[in-house]
Amino acid sequence: MRTVAQRDGGRRRVLLSTVSSDAHTWNLVFLRMLLEEMGHEVVGLGPCVPDRLLLDTVRRTRPDLLVISTVNGHGRLDGARVIRALRADPVARDVPAVIGGKLGIDGDEGAAAARALVEAGFDAVFTDTADTALIGRILGALPQRAPEGRAV
Amino acid sequence: MTRQSPPGPRPARPGAVRRPGPADLGEAVARAAREGLLVVQPRMGMAGPDAMAAGLRAVCSLPHPTVGTLTLDSYTRVGDHGLARAALAAGEPLNGFPLVAHGPHTTARVAAAAGDRPVQVRHGSALPRDIFRTMVAAGLSASEGGPVSYCLPYGRTPLAESVANWRAATAEFAGLSAERGLRAHLETFGGCLLGQLCPPSLLVAVSLLEALFFVQQGVTSVSLSYAQQTDARQDVEALAALRMLADEWLPPGVDRHLVLYTYMGVFPGSPRGAQLLMDRSAELAVRGGARRLIVKTPAEAVRLPTVEENVAALRSAARAAGRRAVGDGRVPYVGEVDPGEVLAEARALVEATLELHADVGTALTRAFAAGLLDVPFCLHEDNRGLTQAAVDGEGRLRWTRTGRLPLPRRTVPHPAPVTAARLLQMLRYTADRHDLLALEAADDPDWAELSGPGPAVRPPEADPEPYRIAVVGTGPRGLSVLERLAARLAERPAPRPVEVCAIDAHEVGPGRVWRTGQPRWSMMNTVSGEVTIYSGPPDDGPARAGAGPSLYEWWRDADPEAAAPDECAPRAVYGQYLAHALDRIERTVPDGVLRLHRLRRTVRTLAPEGGRYLLTLDDGRRLRADRVVLTTGHPLPRLTPDQQELASFAERRPRLTYVRGDSAIDMPLDGIAPGSVVGVIGLGLSFYDVVAALTTGRGGRFVPDAGGALRYEASGREPLLVAGARSGVPLRARGRNQKGPQHVYRPRLFTRERVRALRRRGPLDFRADVLPWLLAEVELVHCATALQRAYGPDIAERFRQEAEEAVRKGTAGAGSSREGRGPQEAVFGAAVRCGLRGHGPVDLRRWAWPFGDRVFSGPQAYQEELAALLRQDVELAAEGNAEGPVKACLDTIRDVRGVLRTAVDFSGLAPRSHREDFLGDFVPMVSRLTTGPPLVRLRQLLALLDCGLLRVTGPDARFTADPASGRFQVHSPRVAGSRTELDVLVDARIPDPDLRRADGDLTARLRDQGLLTPYVNRGPDGGEFATGGVAVTGSPFHPVRADGRPEKGMYVLGIPSEFTRWFTQVGSGRPGVWGEFAADADAIAEDALHGAHDGTTATPLTGVLLGPRWHTALTAPDEETNP
Ligand code: B12
Repeated sequence: MRTVAQRDGGRRRVLLSTVSSDAHTWNLVFLRMLLEEMGHEVVGLGPCVPDRLLLDTVRRTRPDLLVISTVNGHGRLDGARVIRALRADPVARDVPAVIGGKLGIDGDEGAAAARALVEAGFDAVFTDTADTALIGRILGALPQRAPEGRAV
Repeated sequence: MTRQSPPGPRPARPGAVRRPGPADLGEAVARAAREGLLVVQPRMGMAGPDAMAAGLRAVCSLPHPTVGTLTLDSYTRVGDHGLARAALAAGEPLNGFPLVAHGPHTTARVAAAAGDRPVQVRHGSALPRDIFRTMVAAGLSASEGGPVSYCLPYGRTPLAESVANWRAATAEFAGLSAERGLRAHLETFGGCLLGQLCPPSLLVAVSLLEALFFVQQGVTSVSLSYAQQTDARQDVEALAALRMLADEWLPPGVDRHLVLYTYMGVFPGSPRGAQLLMDRSAELAVRGGARRLIVKTPAEAVRLPTVEENVAALRSAARAAGRRAVGDGRVPYVGEVDPGEVLAEARALVEATLELHADVGTALTRAFAAGLLDVPFCLHEDNRGLTQAAVDGEGRLRWTRTGRLPLPRRTVPHPAPVTAARLLQMLRYTADRHDLLALEAADDPDWAELSGPGPAVRPPEADPEPYRIAVVGTGPRGLSVLERLAARLAERPAPRPVEVCAIDAHEVGPGRVWRTGQPRWSMMNTVSGEVTIYSGPPDDGPARAGAGPSLYEWWRDADPEAAAPDECAPRAVYGQYLAHALDRIERTVPDGVLRLHRLRRTVRTLAPEGGRYLLTLDDGRRLRADRVVLTTGHPLPRLTPDQQELASFAERRPRLTYVRGDSAIDMPLDGIAPGSVVGVIGLGLSFYDVVAALTTGRGGRFVPDAGGALRYEASGREPLLVAGARSGVPLRARGRNQKGPQHVYRPRLFTRERVRALRRRGPLDFRADVLPWLLAEVELVHCATALQRAYGPDIAERFRQEAEEAVRKGTAGAGSSREGRGPQEAVFGAAVRCGLRGHGPVDLRRWAWPFGDRVFSGPQAYQEELAALLRQDVELAAEGNAEGPVKACLDTIRDVRGVLRTAVDFSGLAPRSHREDFLGDFVPMVSRLTTGPPLVRLRQLLALLDCGLLRVTGPDARFTADPASGRFQVHSPRVAGSRTELDVLVDARIPDPDLRRADGDLTARLRDQGLLTPYVNRGPDGGEFATGGVAVTGSPFHPVRADGRPEKGMYVLGIPSEFTRWFTQVGSGRPGVWGEFAADADAIAEDALHGAHDGTTATPLTGVLLGPRWHTALTAPDEETNP
């Protein structure tokens, strides 16, 4: 439990996670650095995040953006499952969410997997060919939240 | 937060599944080791039993020793067997074999496909009990893991829990196996951990500690792993240390071996880079004393590999391991290194850990809690995270923060801040390095990529107006752009229909030079196996943009009698191939995606108009295009004043003929009367073409003569040929090809890094800065080849190392290599020390101008010496371009052309040096030696010299018009009595492109409109070198307008841009290599397609797919704010 003071201009809170079956962490280490260097606050959940834990943390921290990174090839399955659960959650359903990495197991499946994941409820899907830095552009374009202090 | 493993299958009783199980892993490895063979093994796991069985069968029927692998999927690792079952039921792909979900019966059936080879289960679970039980029930007793290494990198199970689980499960596994008459084998994963950026000492320590842990639970057969890291020497040290510690700590009765993992971090993206890294790991395994190697595949960076890819990787590993003695000499043998540092650090870590508790598991838990073991960059809660590591300047892994590690005092950390960019750089270090090494070796450009496709999004077509790209001039360059346009569109169709207009006045596809109707005497100069127009090799699918046959592969099908990979094809055959390729490209792209229009026309005018271009064709038609690609090939500029004088002389005299320089097939040679005397200016490749046109082209033929020589049987319709040039000697032959199309040469001294570093200091002086390093490289190959021939590969290898050392010493002290031929001398000196006899140093100048300034008593004397010289050249060429010292070292100059370009292109050289040293001196010199025809053409020349139909005038040949006799004349001032009168003068030199002298064609008009400008190399000191090449920007090669700005809707590729870039006359790519030829075309295709994707409902964020909520917010044009 802690209190977050007024958020300044472009600073956003990002919840960084992966999916339940994915143990890869270099992507998470890298993305955290990248987002922090862009001036955002990052809450990280580490590897193999069970769906329940992810949902609870979204409820608790109310991030401006949920970023899911997954490379083990199960992203299209696990990602779709967890985003459906999120979109069905009465409290957390509106949180903007993106997913990226290697989403399927056969490389060129990126496009099909991406479409399925958008359909399942993600607001943006980064295939492995996307420029990772574009995440900054997305964060910058997010609607500004009311700058009131908020207990979380 | 930990998942409790659900109640698993009951412990196996003997007889649960009764089949003769697979062989004992430890035993199989020992057997192979006795035969001196490395056991190779894949990382392979598929969801379906049949696919998995097929994979095992393929692996286990290879001729060399292999171990079959069942790699489990991620659901099974975390104990989510329910999800695994659901995915199986839904037919969803998994990233491995769900062993528990399939159960022991299915697993046993699958494992049976391995026959009598061992099968190992690789899983990555911190809670291995269910997996072990199912395995043993299926008759399998070999697995992998460890309480630390299957915990910290693999999830969020607390370490203590993992240790407890592993302890119980391992003991049970050993017992159950024994009950079934099997010996449990466990391999540590501690030598890998997170796969990258962990100093070897910690890997060695954890690997050993996990082996001790296994032994403590009753396992009697273990393997200790180590994963290849960033530096080969450091890796050998680590393997040595691991072996020593294992011998020290493991009880003598425990069966053991070392197992090496091919690089486990971010993998090279290019197939060649990946292959290089894989080959090096095999070499490392052999030299480092590992007995088993777990391989990776070239698909690693992108996706899970197929069975075929796995099998190919195993074959290549076995091959590379067998090649051990020839290796590149970078990897020392285990006996040659001092494991001192790694050993001391690892020993300290092991001892400090084992002091904590007698039970290794407990000791491990405590060591991590105390930070005595601490893995850099590991996010696991039970890892302290106080350490950090980095790749140092030499490529070795080093501690930058040591936290509480009990390391010996001499380990000094070097803290360094790590940013996201720096982290990615270090993670990519090995990948990038090998991608680059592979490229450099292949004479290739700046980057390569196994290009991953973007999402194939095709929003509804709002605007049916097609997006049009005009390719002006086809032939190989134009076609290469077309091929990449089609390949890109096939992967990612544009939201609007795209049309490509391929315009060529001669033949759409082949173009002028390669037109299909040309006579058969017109031959290529590159062997057919090394030529392709496709940017990727053929696959199972139809030939199409991005994947098609090489010229040879196509030729073989089209004309099996004539086709041979090491032969040069007639140019017409290449033309047919190009035409065929264009058809294939057109037919395999859907009409709605790309529509091709072939226009056999000349473009008269081209002008910008409202953001597009308006082209008019010679039939008066007008065409609007969004982008224009100029790939117009060899230009035909106005004659120079000297040439004009000769032409005018002939014009006034009906008996005389002057034929201007052009491709031989476009020369009006038919009118030349038999028996007339024809002067031929130039002794280069065109000379060979002109000779062919006037001999075999006139019905003569070459027939075999004694000793491999040829004899010419004249038709009687030949003229007499009198040729001459400054050098007096025809282009020398290329060595017989001994390098496969996949050949890789990695320069050691004349490297891209070195040249880039030099270039950073400002414009280069070719002679002082660049040439010495090139010569050193050439000398290195020259001497190494000679030494190898004399004494074998070991000595050659020792020499290479000594030479590099000598060069390093020689240039370190002296400050710089400016002046003189320092590094070449150092290399040659080393060769002499290594026993080189009977060879002088490489002397390109003397080789290129062999007669120096000698004077000859008469044409006969000259002719005889020349013939002797050419015969000698034929012999040298027959020795081959890999085994013959002379041709091998000359071939190196071709191999490093890419590096030369790095030095020269886009004003790399100071203007004076560019003009005088490079283009005025070096290029003509090496062209004589390295760009020549295949050896058979020299044999033909000799036959023609022999029968008197051809005469070569002599050095410094001068061609003049003699008003007194009314004829042309040629003579060599250095050959007495060489003056000859001529009826016809043929200029057999392809003219250099010269925009300034462009006349009456599209190019001239574009110049006059200010859209094209000649390239001027301007030095910082105001010096200038004005050339006739078209000035272009760097990739994607927009022309630079008269106002100095790029014309962004246009591109210029190939010969017209010579001088801005060097050696643009390349007319094909190399099969299987993503080289400069494809990369240049692709850069243009990518840029040209931007317009087709812009301003639509598709996302402007390439590779990102947006959901409905963000569509409108984020698809507005590019000016997004960045936080
Ligand atoms: C290191 C590694 C491991 C380590 C991981 C240790 C750890 N804790 O991280 C170990 C060895 C333990 C491991 C294990 C496994 N791995 Co692994 N691993 C790799 C490897 C070699 C490198 C990954 C890496 O470090 N990348 C560096 C980071 C910084 O880059 P990145 O992850 O690629 O992410 C980049 C982008 O994708 C992007 N990005 C990622 N996420 C997101 C999200 C957003 C929103 C955005 C904008 C961008 C973005 O940003 C990054 C920088 O550009 C890759 C192959 C490769 N790339 O060469 C395989 C790979 C990812 N692994 C793979 C697999 C299958 C596994 C295993 C399941 C089984 C196996 N075959 O070994 C296991 C189990 C893991 C599990 N339960 O999930 C596959 C995945 C297959 C697929 N998707 O098609 C790969 C591709 C290898 C392969 N070809 O088979 N692995």
